[in-house]
Amino acid sequence: MGAVSTPVRRPEDAEGDAAVLRRIRAGDPNAIDDLYERFRRPAFALARRILADDVLAEDVLQEVFLSVWRDPSAYERGKGSVASWLLAVVHHKAVDAVRREESQRRRQALAEEELILDEPVAARDVEDDVVTRLVSEQVRAALGGLSAPQREALTLAYYGGYTQREVAALTGAPLGTVKTRMLSGMRRLKQELGDAVADLTGGALGGAPAPEAGR
Amino acid sequence: MTADHAPFDELAVGWALHALEPEDESFFAAHLAGCARCAATVAETSEVMAAMATDLPQPEPSEGLRHRIRAAVEQTEQVPARAAEPAAPADRPVREAPEPKRTEEQAPRWRRSLPRVLVAAGLAAIVGLGLWTVVLTNDRQDLQTTLAEQNAFMDQLLSDGQTMVAPLSHDGQMVAMVVARDDAVGVVPAALPANDAETSTYVLWGLGEGAPDALGTFNVERSQMKLQTVGSEPTGLDGFTGYGISLEPGHQAPPIPTEIVAQG
Repeated sequence: MGAVSTPVRRPEDAEGDAAVLRRIRAGDPNAIDDLYERFRRPAFALARRILADDVLAEDVLQEVFLSVWRDPSAYERGKGSVASWLLAVVHHKAVDAVRREESQRRRQALAEEELILDEPVAARDVEDDVVTRLVSEQVRAALGGLSAPQREALTLAYYGGYTQREVAALTGAPLGTVKTRMLSGMRRLKQELGDAVADLTGGALGGAPAPEAGR
Repeated sequence: MTADHAPFDELAVGWALHALEPEDESFFAAHLAGCARCAATVAETSEVMAAMATDLPQPEPSEGLRHRIRAAVEQTEQVPARAAEPAAPADRPVREAPEPKRTEEQAPRWRRSLPRVLVAAGLAAIVGLGLWTVVLTNDRQDLQTTLAEQNAFMDQLLSDGQTMVAPLSHDGQMVAMVVARDDAVGVVPAALPANDAETSTYVLWGLGEGAPDALGTFNVERSQMKLQTVGSEPTGLDGFTGYGISLEPGHQAPPIPTEIVAQG
């Protein structure tokens, strides 16, 4: 616990994350404890949001951390931060789990909640950490800056684990429109978040058009 | 290439969100392996997603989880580090398409217990068809009902335990599926016509070497992707080499089926 338990990533954390991953690659089992210290809370928050079940969420976390231990080279440098990679793996496995396990009722309830949400989920019981609050407010403001259909599409997919076709069915929009909304919504979010997300370039979210030729 | 690439930009975001349909997913996986721009888009999207994860209440997982993970790590060997560059981007789990292995002694191939993923993949295709039919009606209420039914159906099929799925056909068309689990057997009346429950009943038969064995009766209100439990015979299902469905007068299964309407 202590200093590293903050769920939000500070810039200097990224170096520390990379160092922990190097130790995992070197076969140091203690490094998994350190990785867990760093990510347990955002990882758990995400998994339980998707699964709406603490036990299933913990199962997902166990699966994820064990898979990192088993094959740490699954993370490739140059493909973004360790944090975003790890949380993407958590998201992926939690969504797989929800598609397998979740009861229809719970899913239905979440979908309704998501659809009537005028604002993104408020981080009500976030601990009183200045950085946490700051970033969380930034994210909320950024989500608030999306059009309602963009926000709907992204929150259903990200927090709800719905596929594009399911989102289309739930929102009554054509599949092609949903795909476009997700891209434009992500572009907008990245723009709004600015410094709050790692500065990557070369992708479709950067606002730059596709490369002229070759690359 | 700018204009041509727009669909891939969209797919890259859907991929990062793990929200692509199976067909889009395999299509895009092939493209991603050789596209630096899409790799960057996936990475960018993942960064934004990570930021979205912070907009959530951040409770502590239970203290036991740390110990469970540590214990599992102690018992797990690491895979050898990759010597060279991996052939494909491996920064996220990719849904694998396992090569179906079939051997002679496993007579009808569906009789084998299917891994859940495989069942899901096969059914997703079927369910997808059903959904599109409804999409054409363009009725939002219908859509949501269908979606709900289909999700419930998948949940039922994929709940714990091993599931075997047998398609039953009539005139070359799949009209129903038999779903056999350890503890129960059910039918999905995908395209079986509705019967008059007052005067008739469908009967599910286990077909094997001996006489057909009536496993249970059921009625169809309408053709749908809904799993109806038919019987709960805990044993004996392995003895059958196939299943059949007949439509019978009355409410009871006769000793032998009068007319088989679906078989497989």
